[in-house]
Amino acid sequence: MKRHRTARVVSTAMLAAALTALAFTGAASAKLVGEFTKFQHCPYNTAEVNRCMHSLNTGGEVILGTKKTPIVNPVTIQGGYSKPVKRISKFFGATNGVTLSKAAQPVPGGLLGIVPPEKSPWLVKALSKFFFENSLTGVNSVLELAKSASDIVISEPNLSEGIGIALEMPVKVRLENPFLGKNCYVGSSSSPIVWKLTTGTTSPPGPNTPISGETGEISFLEGGRILQLNGTVLVDNSWSAPTASGCGGILSFLVNPIINSQIGLASAAGKNTASLKNTVTVATVAAVKANDAENP
Amino acid sequence: MNRKATRMLLRGALAALVISAVFAGSAGAAPVWKFQGSALTGSETVVGGAEDSAMTVPGLTTDCENFLYDLLISNSAGTGQGEVGEVPLFDCGTNTEVCTVDAIEAEELPWSSKLTTVSAKPYIVIEGIRVSVLYGGEECALSEVLVPVTGSAGGSIDNTTESATFSSTTLSATGTKLKALGQSITWNGVFPTEAFEWHREQALTAS
Repeated sequence: MKRHRTARVVSTAMLAAALTALAFTGAASAKLVGEFTKFQHCPYNTAEVNRCMHSLNTGGEVILGTKKTPIVNPVTIQGGYSKPVKRISKFFGATNGVTLSKAAQPVPGGLLGIVPPEKSPWLVKALSKFFFENSLTGVNSVLELAKSASDIVISEPNLSEGIGIALEMPVKVRLENPFLGKNCYVGSSSSPIVWKLTTGTTSPPGPNTPISGETGEISFLEGGRILQLNGTVLVDNSWSAPTASGCGGILSFLVNPIINSQIGLASAAGKNTASLKNTVTVATVAAVKANDAENP
Repeated sequence: MNRKATRMLLRGALAALVISAVFAGSAGAAPVWKFQGSALTGSETVVGGAEDSAMTVPGLTTDCENFLYDLLISNSAGTGQGEVGEVPLFDCGTNTEVCTVDAIEAEELPWSSKLTTVSAKPYIVIEGIRVSVLYGGEECALSEVLVPVTGSAGGSIDNTTESATFSSTTLSATGTKLKALGQSITWNGVFPTEAFEWHREQALTAS
């Protein structure tokens, strides 16, 4: 009797849990249509959010010390931002937690380029031999947010007018390869790489020289409800990067210095460059909500 | 030897005179403002209102039902000059359902202007243009965004209709450009002119 009752209680709880999950799934799946589907992860129900943004980074390059990595796999930056105060808006991360998507970009030269056997101590050489012999030499770099999405700062006027800082982001670069382990990073939450990206012209310390971004070509979609900037190029070549950390697992005390030596880390301001080609799409929260309401 | 040097000097001086005469000729060809066929002396205020004037970025056209202006014209150093003193803009809107124009204002007046010739036709070039447009409409992508329109614009003058026409063709012909939101925009407009002071009802031409 007691067993039956317990079973009923468990079944009821499971059903309730399933229904709750379904209800949440229903709420999470946005009913946005057309060009508005880009904003499905915008926190448009957050009171302070005034606009939704989706930026697809489809090209460009990141020069970290001596390593140049072209962006070949698209990266998405998405979320919402507040009304500007003195041209600056607070940023709110995407509702699915993917404010900055993790897209792996192949690093030219692979493992050989950052941990060359001839420059490695015998222990590193012996352990890395397996990876070289089994063609596990590809290295990817993955850009990640180093801090909370709320640490991102955006200026829509600066973005569209090509002046000042348009997007400030604390980032870290993860170097991916089985030999390097899961925690091989350049930059961290306590010592992030801070990109101050502009669509205007930079004024870096030497040896870098000024480079210019581009505001891109503007167009209005959905009857003026969506603003799109195509071919926007955000640049910063004034940032610095700290040393690598956590590379090679238990051998990190040996591997980190090799990577630092090969890439030239820590890399002072004026020796690094980020140039990101984007399609930026923006709409007001009111327009996104209206699209949502029109398509139940 | 002295005679040879003198001959060379004279030839050089002659060449310099010919060159300067040619340049003086082109400068003299710059158009001047004329009333009833006679070059304007002193200054005159001309006024007008735009017909079919609109500013366009792809997907969004902004226009004003009342786009008035006054222009103080004169001739100086053989060229027609001018200053746009006032540009009242009223009843402005967009071609979309959701975007309104909450405020629009011509700023940093006066804007200087001058006459020039392109392919033997008279043009007016207005420099230092700055118009701020504040868009509204809560669903409009530019809602609460103040958009400055800046740059210079060249328009062709039609002496028959006493009007100036601005378009992408005339801006290109005069090497002028208007920018908003970080890029070049298209501006089309026909601006009839009429003397407001001493030369009322007299035919205004630029040649």
